[in-house]
Formats: sequence, structure tokens, C-alpha cells
Amino acid sequence: MITWLLLFSLFRQSTQDGQGEGVLRCGPQNVTLDYDSFLLKWEDDPSCSVIRDGLVYELQLLIADKPEHNGEVVVAPAQIGSTHSWKWTSHLPSQCARHSVRLRSQYNNQSSPWMQKTLPDQGEILVLPRDQILEVGSTATFCCMVPDGESIKTMFLYDYKGTNVTTTKISEHVHSLTVHLDQESENYSDVRCETTKGNINGASFHASYPPDDSDLKCETRDLESIDCFWNVGRAANEHPAMERTYQLQGSSCINGRSGKCSQKVKLDAAERNWTLTATNRLGKLEIHDNADLTKRVHMVAPDKVAASTVNPRNISLKWSWTVQKYSNLNITCQVDVSDGNSNTKTENIGVGLTAAVIKDLIPYWDYVVRVRCGTAQHFWKWGDWSKSVKICTKGDVPDALDVWMKVKADQAVISWKVPLTNQSHGEIFDYKVSWAKTKDKNQSNQTNVSRSNHSLTLTLDPSEEYMVTVTARNINGSSSPSTIIIPRSNLDTSEVKTSWISGSNGSFFLSWPDSPNASCGYIVDWCPVFGNCTFEWMKVPPNRTHTTVFSKNFEDGRRYLLSIYACTEGAAVLLQRRKGYIRETKIGVELFKLKYKQEDSAVEVSWEPIPLEKQTASIHGYILYYQDKSGNVFNVSTDDPEATSLTAKNLNISMYTFTVTASTAFGLCGNSSINVTLNPPADQLIMLILISLGAVFLILSVSTIICYRQWACIKHKVYPPIPKPVLTDQWLTLPDEHTSHHLHFDQSYYREVLDIPKLHDQFRPPQPEVDQDYKPFTFSQTPKGYYNKPLKKSQPCLTLPTTGLTSQPGLPSSPINGVFPNPLYNPSYNLVLQSVDREVKSGPEVHEGIPFIRSFSGYQPQSPDETFTTTELEEYPNSPISCVSTYILLPQKTSN
Amino acid sequence: MAGRSTRGINGSNGSRTAPARAAALADLLHYECSTLLELFRKKENFTEDVTDRRLVSVPPPSSQLDTRDKLWRIHSALLQCQKLLEKAVAKEEEELGGGKKGKYENKRKLVKERLPLLILSTGELLKAAEGTTSLTPSVEGLEVNVPTGLLDLKLWVYRVYKEVNYWSKTAANTLKELPSVIVKEGARTTRARNRRSTRR
Repeated sequence: MITWLLLFSLFRQSTQDGQGEGVLRCGPQNVTLDYDSFLLKWEDDPSCSVIRDGLVYELQLLIADKPEHNGEVVVAPAQIGSTHSWKWTSHLPSQCARHSVRLRSQYNNQSSPWMQKTLPDQGEILVLPRDQILEVGSTATFCCMVPDGESIKTMFLYDYKGTNVTTTKISEHVHSLTVHLDQESENYSDVRCETTKGNINGASFHASYPPDDSDLKCETRDLESIDCFWNVGRAANEHPAMERTYQLQGSSCINGRSGKCSQKVKLDAAERNWTLTATNRLGKLEIHDNADLTKRVHMVAPDKVAASTVNPRNISLKWSWTVQKYSNLNITCQVDVSDGNSNTKTENIGVGLTAAVIKDLIPYWDYVVRVRCGTAQHFWKWGDWSKSVKICTKGDVPDALDVWMKVKADQAVISWKVPLTNQSHGEIFDYKVSWAKTKDKNQSNQTNVSRSNHSLTLTLDPSEEYMVTVTARNINGSSSPSTIIIPRSNLDTSEVKTSWISGSNGSFFLSWPDSPNASCGYIVDWCPVFGNCTFEWMKVPPNRTHTTVFSKNFEDGRRYLLSIYACTEGAAVLLQRRKGYIRETKIGVELFKLKYKQEDSAVEVSWEPIPLEKQTASIHGYILYYQDKSGNVFNVSTDDPEATSLTAKNLNISMYTFTVTASTAFGLCGNSSINVTLNPPADQLIMLILISLGAVFLILSVSTIICYRQWACIKHKVYPPIPKPVLTDQWLTLPDEHTSHHLHFDQSYYREVLDIPKLHDQFRPPQPEVDQDYKPFTFSQTPKGYYNKPLKKSQPCLTLPTTGLTSQPGLPSSPINGVFPNPLYNPSYNLVLQSVDREVKSGPEVHEGIPFIRSFSGYQPQSPDETFTTTELEEYPNSPISCVSTYILLPQKTSN
Repeated sequence: MAGRSTRGINGSNGSRTAPARAAALADLLHYECSTLLELFRKKENFTEDVTDRRLVSVPPPSSQLDTRDKLWRIHSALLQCQKLLEKAVAKEEEELGGGKKGKYENKRKLVKERLPLLILSTGELLKAAEGTTSLTPSVEGLEVNVPTGLLDLKLWVYRVYKEVNYWSKTAANTLKELPSVIVKEGARTTRARNRRSTRR
């Protein structure tokens, strides 16, 4: 009854709505439309519950308001009241049109009203497709739709580096964006759409690749399961959204992303196809491996590895297997033995191998041992290494010592290298050194050296050859003896060449010609050329003629001497020597202590030989720079590294700065300077004086000769004819005793030398022995008699009168006392010519027809009132004495 | 106001500084959240006004609100923020996370850790103001509708950050305005605290 009432109500309502017949109240409600899947969901109106025989929903899809597709959903009576759905595969992205879907119910030819759902809804911005995973290489198109009343402002791509993007405006409400996905997304990228009102929405996508796993390889470890490995490709870096799932032989792999999967299988000796499937949101991939796993056994590690027997030089190992099936396999095992510095591997083969022996070990030494195995037949790969086991070998006697010696005069230093741990084979107690002359080995000396010392100095007879033996002792006994022959020290080694060598990378590389004497190889020793020579050495096998010498004691800037010996059955033979630096370092300044020595115009700058400790680089020569005051720089140089002086020549008398510098590989080093002021040489001064004197003498001589030859003319020019003196009676009066002095004339002396006239203070008239005729008083010049020269005794000479005045040429001289004016001199002075002895009767001698009048009077100061005037003299220009000059009277200082 | 008893929280000294301490905590959270918001905005290239839809629902502010109401309001808002933030972080990690641990992720973790501290402080103040019969707000049953689209999710996360930023700032201002001594108010009715339906 109630049902019928409800049915009536269902249709009555429809009739009241005025929709005519067939209008059904029972219809859809709560209709939803999913954007992405285009899934339409709805529920039945509660009034539908009265329908017992089911109903049909009619659906219609409209694109751009035009019907595109029709469909229907039949609802069984039992489904009435539940949620219904309908899905349509949309072509939305490509069409970019507004989509609508409407539905209504139909029952007994009655239909409910259409209920429509349109995308987008009012107030929504719809960008489709949303949240897609897209494959790199594809092209994607996105549509942005906004409802009526809104307009699209922009549509763009965000967080994707692709550049091939096209945006198309279809209408104010619909835009599309097309992008070619040419690379993988780092994360989710967005396609955003913004309206003119500022609202924004969009869709995200992720561009990636389908699985690209490769190289599947399968094996077994226990012959009961399979282990497969492959290369995961890009999976290791993929976004979580692209996570792959793996299956091996159809069973899931838990951690397939690591590229490994294991499964229990039943193995048989046959080839099988092993398949791995990788799947992600973009695709599925299958990779295969075809193999007989009995031939691909990857063995597990040996278990419980231990030493069963330990000896000084060998060890026995044993181990066990955790996989029982290995006991039937033919196994090869590799034993890795490490001594801390190097590893050695030995191999052993056997069925179900569980033991091995390690030989050639160092006594008293720690070893680390481990073992791995593989199948000997159908070897696939080495198994895992076992755990490492530490084993110490037992001790033994020390190895023979490495001994060398250095001889200087009668001292021989025997030295041996400290045995290394791998040579001592136990703690060294001490060393025993014994020595004897080779010609008398029975008389042997012996001494023990404590373990802290590694050399012994012996005083030996240099003229004898000795044999020295050294042994080391430890708890296990003495080492084999090491013997060395010390040769006689008078062997000549002068022919041994010493050449230069340069270090490289902290070492010296040496090579030498093969020596037929080197039966047991070569020995190279070295030590610094100065300071204490703590020598080091190394031995080179016979077949090698080169080596690299390295020592932790090498220092830069230090010169080393290296010697190469041939090892013989007897004493070692010195072959060659080298000297050089590991690395030269720059020599410091002020290397030289300079001294100098001047020799004429040259300066020799010398220095003391450079000590070797200061020669931190090889000196190839020296350069002496010298600079004068003007800044001009000159230099002299030498290529002799042993030179201790350089000489600068042709220097001026000036100040010089001398700088000596050493030429090295670093350039010029060790500059030292000295300033030198050159002195004029004394010999030169003397020479200058002598030359000057000689020149003066020469000039005087020439002048004298010229004067002598031209004397008559000079006399005429200089000493014109003297006018006849005007004599008055007063001249005959004696001068005042107090004012004038007579020149005393010694007759005896007169005969020899003319006395020097004396200059009288006062005029004194001469004695008038002559008459007015002046001819007898004429002066004449004889060729032989001249001024101040002694004459013959038989020919009394005129004495050159001297005065205390400077010479006054031109003054006349007369044998009588007379006063003559001195026209060229101070007129206040008058000369007094006074006869010393009036009684001299001898008249003037005549030589060569010219009377020679001896004059013995001198100059005397003239009285001012008794002077002659020159005019008086000039009254007789044609006087016969005009060309007969008298002696030139040169004023001289008075000489008593 | 007769009959209203007054007492401090945990003694007078503690009650005097509690609002100030809470305000300082809110200031710090606001600073961190501003930085987080800026980092996210730059990361996603959003404009500042890209979305203004509110997610937190509390009674509107009013000058008529007393101290307890004010505290209740901000406490309720912060609780909602916490729930939204936790959901946002989880969803972002799940849907968008690339496993990176950069500056943004570290700041997000910091804000997520500091927000509960502020909630604890405001809750203590609210308890002090309400007395033993406090009626603290609850977010149990609060449904958080997370958008399904990834870009919608980003926009929603941005809204969540903006809410945390807004309410941390509001909390700081409110707490600074509170009296230094919070007193328990007299018997009050439970009032219409369910005015949360009224959006700001």
C-alpha cells in the first residue's frame, strides 16, 4: 500500500511540475565529474528506492555545447540507492573545447529532467590534462579553460627547461600550450594559467623515461638459489614518481632498484632463460640471461681460516666451507699474503680444498693472510675473500750484514747497515768484527761492537792489505760473515776521473761504463765534500751499470762526492768519481772578502778562495764589475772557478766601485763590492818633473845658442851705443865717506875673476882718468869674453856688476865710474860706475881689432841730481859704439 | 567583579613573564615563517597575492573580547595551523618531494617544530586565564581537504604557510597586548565559543 502511495507520489509530482507525461521524479543527485579521468559519478534520488525492476540512466556528452556522444547506464534493482559511474575517454587535450555531460533517468517511458555538469565549473580555472607522467621525446598539449565571465591573461610553463613551447589563444576562455618534451624533469613541472582577475591554476607534469635496465647476469653462490645483477640505468636518479618495480622469473624483487635480485630455485646442469621485468609509469621492459648456473658458481668466502703450522719461513693454512655442496667441487684457492708493504698471491687446487702452504716467508715477521676460491672447472669468478688472519713467523739467525769501509791514511772505518726488521729475524744482541792481514790470516784480531753502534774505526798498517769480517748475533745465532778487503793505501787513484753531476728530484742518477773487474757488482758511496763525512753506500748488481742514489740525508745546496767502485773478489776498485749538488741553492750576498792592489792604471781585485760550505751552487766563473764616478760600468770576467783575482786595466785616476760576483746556475750571486780611489803613480810625477826640467833646459839651450849666434844683433838692439859721458870736475871729487863706498879691487884677484861690483848707496863720481874723448872708453865685445864668464889671467876681465835689483837689460857698463840713467827702471836710482883702482894702467885689450875695455865697476844708486838724461845719449846716434854693445848688465842681488 | 579571585600562574614571577615569553616565541615563529613563505614563493614563482582563500576558522576579532577570549581565539587558530601544516608537509613530501634537503626544507622543518612550542605557551596562558575548568579548543574532527591536483596542492601549501604566518603575527600582537599578570576570570559561562563557524 505504501509502495503504491510512493509510486503515485513519484508520478504526481511530475504531473504537477507541468512537464507532461513521462516526467520522472527519480533522477540523479550528487553528480560529480572528475577532471582527469572524466569519470562521472552520481547517486539515485531517494524516490528511486520504490522502483523494483531497475532503471536506466541516459547520458549525453556535449563538446562546445554540441552533442558528441550518447551512452546509458542500466541500474539493476539491487543497485538502486548505490553510487553509479560512467567514464568517457576524453579527447579533451586535443580538442580544447568546453565539455559538458548531462544525464537523466528513464523508467517506464518516463524520464527525469536532464542534470548537466560542465567543465569548468563556475569560478574554476581548468587546465587539462593534470598531473601527467609523460615520456621524454613526446609532445604534450595542455588546455586552459575558464568559465564565462572570466578571461585568460596568460598561460605559461614553469620549472621545465624545454624551449620548444607554443601557446595558442583559441578564445577568451580557452588557451592551449604545446611543449616538446626534450629532456627529463627534475621534479614536477607546471603549466599555469592566470586569469585577468589574477586567479591562477594549472596542471603539473613530469617528463621521464620508461625503464632502461640492461646487462642481466645471473649466478649462484650455493647451488640452491639464483642471484641476478643488472644495470639499472637512469633508475638510480629518477624521481620517486617514476619508481620501478621488478620481477625475476615472475616473482617480485624487493629491492630491485639496487640492481640485484635473489630467488631460491632448483638448479640443474642445463641452460635456462632467466628473465627480469622492470616496470614504471611509462612502460615495461624485459631483459634476459641464458645460462647454466652450475657453471656460474660464485663461491662464498672460506670460513675459519687459521694457521695449522708456523715455521720461520713457511706456514700451513686451513679453513672450512659453510656450503656443503662445495665439497664435491674442484676448487682453486688464492692465498693473499701481505707483509705490510707488499702482497703476494699463491694458488692451490683441489676437490673441496680446505688447506694450503705458504712458503718463502721472512722469519720473525707479521703477515696478514686471506683466502678466496673459485671453481677450477668452468671458472666463473673469484669468490669472496675470507676474513684476514694475522700470523707471525718464527725467528731465525740474522741475514748477512751489508758492510763497507772508508780508508784515510792508517784509519779504516768499517761500517755496516743496521739490519732491518726483515733482516735481523729477531732482536740483535751485538756485532762481532774480526780483521787480519790477507797474507797472514791466522793472526786475526777480533772485537765485539754493541748493537747501538754500527761502525768501527781500525788503525791499520797502510802498506798492508787487510780482510775484515763482520757478523751479527741474535737469539737464534750468528749471521753469515760479511767480508771486505781493505787495500793498501798507496794505490794510485790519480787517474780516476771526477766529473760533475746534477741531482734530480732529490736524487742522483749515475751511470758508468761496464767494468770487467766487477765480478760481484758495483758499490756506490757518497758523502758531503766538507764537514764530517758520514758515508753512505749502496750496492748495484753486476748486470747493471746505472743507479739512482737517494738518501734522506741529502741536503740542498750541499756538494757531495760520489764514488763508484767495482766489486771484485779482492779489494774494491775505484772506477769513477762524481761531485755535484742534489739541488743548487742561491749563494748569499757578500760572498767575497775583497782586497785590491793598484799597479799604475790597473787595479787587481783579489779574494780568498770561497769555502765549500758557502758554495751552495756550482761556481762557473767570476765577473768583476767596476764603475767610475760617471756611472760607466765595465767588467772583466774569468771562467776559472778556482780564480781568486781579476784585474781591471786602463783606469783613470778616479774613484771606482769594484763588484765581484760569482757566475752560477742561478745567475750572478754573492755580490761583494769595494770602493777604490786610484792614486797618481809617484814615478809618473817624477817623470813629469824630469820632462819639465828637460824641456826648460832644452829651451834655455836653444835660446842660448840663438842668442850666441845673434849676439851682435841682440847687443845692438838691447844695448845701444852708450853716449859719451859728460864729465865735469865734480866727478873728480871724492864722494862722501858716509854715502859712498869704493869697490876695493884686489889686484891679485883681479887677475883671475872680476869682482862683483858693489851697489853704492850714494852717487860717487868716477875718477876722471879719461879725457873728453870718449873713444878710449868704448866698450867692445869679444867673441870669447862674455858676461860672468871667467877670463884668462892674462886678460883681465870685466866683472859683472850685480845689484840687489832684478835684472835690467840695456844698462850700459863702463870701466870708469860714471852715472848712467836707467831708462827702464826706477828713475830714482842711478847707477854709479866707479873705478876700483884709478891707477890701473892697463888699457883695453884689443881682440880682433876691436879694443876690449875691462870694466870693474858696478852699478850704484844714482843721485837724483846727477842723472843723465837719455837725450844726452841720443846726441850721438852715429857713434862708433852704436853697434858695439857692452856687456849686458843684469841687476842681481847684492852678493858680498 | 567582586568575588573574582586573582592569582598568578606558578607564582607571581612566572605569571609576569609568561605572556612576554610567549610573545617573543610568536615573534620568532613569525620571522621564521616569513622566511619560509618567501622561500616557497620564490621556489614556486608565486606572486604574493596568488591566493587569499582562508583555511583557519575562528571567531572574528572584537574589542569586546576579554583576555581569555583573545587567548582562546589565537590558541584555536594556532591549533588549526598546526594541523594544516602537518598535513601540508606530509602531502608535499608525498606528492612533490624529490628527497632534497635544502634551505627550504630545513626552514619548513624549523617552523613545524616551533609552532607546537607556541601552542604550548598559549595553552598554558589560556589555562591560567580559565582556571582549572579550562575549555581549551580542539581540532579533533577538523577535516582538512587537500586538493588532488599537484598545482592545486602547491597553492594550498602556500595558503597554509600564509595562515601560519598570519596567525603567528596575530599571536605576537595579541600576546603583547595582554596584561603582564594573567588572572583567572570569574565564573563564566562557556559562552559561544563555537563561533568558529564565523569566518574572520
